[in-house]
Amino acid sequence: MSGEIACHDCDLLVTLGVLQDGDSASCPRCGGFLTQYRSNAYSRVLAFAISALILLLLANSFSFLSFAAGGAESQITLRETPTALWNQGMPFVGLLVGAFIIAIPAVVLLMLVTLSTALHIGYNHRWLPRLAKWLVHLQHWSMAEVFIIGVIVALVKLSSMATVVVGISFWAYAGFTICFLLAVTSLDKYQCWERVDQVAGK
Amino acid sequence: MYTEQLGVGEANTILQGVILLIEMGSIPIALVIFLFSVIVPLGKIMAMFYLVLTVRSHSPLTPHQRSVLYRVTEFVGKWSMVDVFVVAILVALVQLAGLLVVRPGVAALSFAGVVILTMIATQSFDSRLIWDNTKEAERGRD
Repeated sequence: MSGEIACHDCDLLVTLGVLQDGDSASCPRCGGFLTQYRSNAYSRVLAFAISALILLLLANSFSFLSFAAGGAESQITLRETPTALWNQGMPFVGLLVGAFIIAIPAVVLLMLVTLSTALHIGYNHRWLPRLAKWLVHLQHWSMAEVFIIGVIVALVKLSSMATVVVGISFWAYAGFTICFLLAVTSLDKYQCWERVDQVAGK
Repeated sequence: MYTEQLGVGEANTILQGVILLIEMGSIPIALVIFLFSVIVPLGKIMAMFYLVLTVRSHSPLTPHQRSVLYRVTEFVGKWSMVDVFVVAILVALVQLAGLLVVRPGVAALSFAGVVILTMIATQSFDSRLIWDNTKEAERGRD
């Protein structure tokens, strides 16, 4: 892959050398990341995205955390985290949390699957550029990895006063977070846009 | 958040949570919360103010250093949500009626607001502006 890129951070026009599989390029002036070429980008994205979707489904199906103190026990599923906020008088925060940890990642994954499949098989659709643009936008708003750290912090806070048991859903969500991050980082923006152009026949 | 232990209610601010964690001996976690819930949001706001102001005016930092500042600010953005998630989990999980109950506090909403607004602010900033002055200076010299 070669060509010219305008650095996203500083607007310097950079002429790319020929990039081999795995090579990455950074801006010579500001050090900003430009692109990383992967010959099997779309299969990587598909593999990770589909795995992430399956794991997300699993994460929603089992017990996430359970908590026992003084003989009483409480158990929650992943979905109950945002809905509890809704029920406790903070509907907006509940909606936000639900979006950041489940809805937006799921939508991003579905978009990734659609986009990478279309680009892989060379299917030209006028929605492709819009899809790619929205995908880049939404990526920033998925906070799966922040949530996992939040769970760990909550566990530490609770561990002193009660027995907390981590359920299957937690491990599924952890796996989902890893696959999600790998799926999102495997799709290089520059490579993607070049391919969108190519598929559209420009 | 509000905790009610055996009927006795207690309101907890983020800083009180940090002190509690230190008392429990979990210093690293306390540091994480203090960093991401207090230092980082304040730092982000100050960094964005600084970056916007120095687009036009002189700055002791080089454009490259300011670019790095911008990238760090952008990266760190979503991590301040960790405290909101902790409250969300505790609210959902700790519902042992009569023994220990947790309810969300007002700060959960305002804190989520801070994270979202600073994220939008960071995304709205065109980092290429940092470099525009250098180009003009170069052209002026020729």
